Amino acid sequence: MAETSSLAPVKRALRVKPATREDRIFFGVSAAAGYSSLVFIVLILIFLGVQAWPTFVEQGVFEFVFGTGWSSTDVQYSIGPMLWGSVLVAVIGVSMAVPMAISIAYFIEFMATKRVAGIATVFVDLLAAIPSVIIGLWGLTIFSAVGAQWGQMINSALGFFPIFSNEADSFLRTPFIAGVVIAVMIVPIISSVTREIFSQIDGELIKASIALGGNRESTFRKIILPVSASGITGGVLLGLGRALGETVAIFFVLNLIYDEFNWFNILEPGGGAIASLILGKFGEAIQSEVSALLAAGVVLFILTLIINSIAAFIVSKAQPWNNR
Amino acid sequence: MNLEPVARPKSAEPWSRTTTQSRLLQVVASLVPILISAAAWLVLGVDPIVVVVFILLPLLLISIGTVGFLLKGKRGVPDAILIVMTLFLGTFVMVLLLSVVWSLFDAGFRALSPHFIYQNNVYVTPTDGLEFGGVGHAIIGTLLVVGLSTIITVPLGVATGVYLTETRSNGRGFVRVVLQAMAGLPSIVAGLFVYSMLIVTGVSQYAGWLGAFALVPLMLPTVSRVTEEALKLVPQELRNGALGLGASSWKAFFQVTLPAAKSGVVTAILLGVARVVGETAPLLLTVFPIAGTNLNLLEGGMATLPTYIYRFVALGFDTAIARAWGAALVLMILVGILFGLARYISRPKSIKKKKVNR
Repeated sequence: MAETSSLAPVKRALRVKPATREDRIFFGVSAAAGYSSLVFIVLILIFLGVQAWPTFVEQGVFEFVFGTGWSSTDVQYSIGPMLWGSVLVAVIGVSMAVPMAISIAYFIEFMATKRVAGIATVFVDLLAAIPSVIIGLWGLTIFSAVGAQWGQMINSALGFFPIFSNEADSFLRTPFIAGVVIAVMIVPIISSVTREIFSQIDGELIKASIALGGNRESTFRKIILPVSASGITGGVLLGLGRALGETVAIFFVLNLIYDEFNWFNILEPGGGAIASLILGKFGEAIQSEVSALLAAGVVLFILTLIINSIAAFIVSKAQPWNNR
Repeated sequence: MNLEPVARPKSAEPWSRTTTQSRLLQVVASLVPILISAAAWLVLGVDPIVVVVFILLPLLLISIGTVGFLLKGKRGVPDAILIVMTLFLGTFVMVLLLSVVWSLFDAGFRALSPHFIYQNNVYVTPTDGLEFGGVGHAIIGTLLVVGLSTIITVPLGVATGVYLTETRSNGRGFVRVVLQAMAGLPSIVAGLFVYSMLIVTGVSQYAGWLGAFALVPLMLPTVSRVTEEALKLVPQELRNGALGLGASSWKAFFQVTLPAAKSGVVTAILLGVARVVGETAPLLLTVFPIAGTNLNLLEGGMATLPTYIYRFVALGFDTAIARAWGAALVLMILVGILFGLARYISRPKSIKKKKVNR
């Protein structure tokens, strides 16, 4: 009897904390890595902030963010027009992308056969991986001419609305074209988030709706949309963040104006974007201008950080299955 | 009490929905507007976008709506509108996206040739044709910069994934939100960050490793999120089994969980690489693009495919743009290979998703 008992496992204390030193190291390293993302964000804020500080002091934060005028000879820097331009282009892009992205997601999840849906999913995911510089190249060489023609048509049909009026002769390099290019870029992003949300909707809900006499449209309007609304909102905000931060594509297709607001004339050449401003001015910037560009980067970073945090929060609330 | 069954309206009988006749009606209703529009475009020469918006779409709505009304009564009309609008918008954006892909292959293959892949650009002026010179130096540069970036990011990202799945720490939700927010970090801000941290302060001149470092915050969210997904798919029983046999947590992870999630982790790495391989803005601010080949990440300029495209587009000559298309195709093939590998490795083996088909 005594021999069998010696073969039994050694009694261990029941613990919920890591028991051995190796485990403590293992969990410590993983926790440190987990917080490295936070460290990155803090480092970005610190280093950009330190370099940008002189600009914020000299120009005044409010004047810098909302004022007008960018001149290195007068040492006067304000990003108002660019901030507004970024928002304008992003809003045009997102408002065009959302219906299309939802259409694609709805088609894949609720209309296509399984085989078609599989192919379409792969295709959309691959499109999401197209580098933005390639989309910018396409926008510049292929789409600009087509978009200018569309702009001209919209202008001749609806030109009496102030936002579609055009005093200039050209329809090239307008916020409208930049918006379409942005839309092409973010449709796959919004679409894949939406598809993910759609695919997780409880099938019983949809069956119940059909059993109660619902048709396709009422099921979509009264079941699918309300259930997935917050998830879609999150996806849209992610797309918006991407649109605000887009640099190269907008730089290629938009006529950048640095010291003048283009409020609503989306079919007129001229507009701004913070990220493209940084890219455009960086090459030949003098020291005070570099500081101002870094300050513009801080503003852009904070703006996208806020939007993306809200988006991430909404998406994580809408996908409780991801927070196990 | 009257328990007589209510008379069922014919339109609510889903099983009587599809007959040969109704199918035929649907096909005719969708073909007729398409034929009319094609005629307007080809015979009358109306502009295609006008045809699509002002002839095809209204006609489709009317004809499919009518068929819906005939087959299902009043309830059929909104259905028809929903279907037509979904297919219309989906097709519209797909045409735009296919135009991107098609022009990429069309213009790209015209520039592509064996010497375009392996030669560098030392003696090339922007107006030179495509007879000589290529993107060999940029391919090497991209592989070096992205490779170094991958070496830095992967341990960090995988460990973050471990933190999110293997621990029960309270900070996980917060870290998840931070990662999501970081996924939307504008790429140019990542470039400015490295510029302000290492170049302004004088730690280093423009060099390849700075570019690699600038790509880390862009790659990290993708790697850690996909790793997290992969680790989540490992059944809890496996971990419990290992722990129950007396393994410590780190042994359980390295000998049981990680091998089980191996393909998912590789997918995470590949998707992360695919995410950053086309990033342009951060490299423009941290690596000086040159025309020659440079294998030294620590010193000197280095060309990469995205900055090569940017530089040649900015030059504006037709010959330069043709080169940019060639480089774009090479870049896209690179992304496609990474993406295809990721799909292949992570292809579902036995897990099947439940799917509701309405």
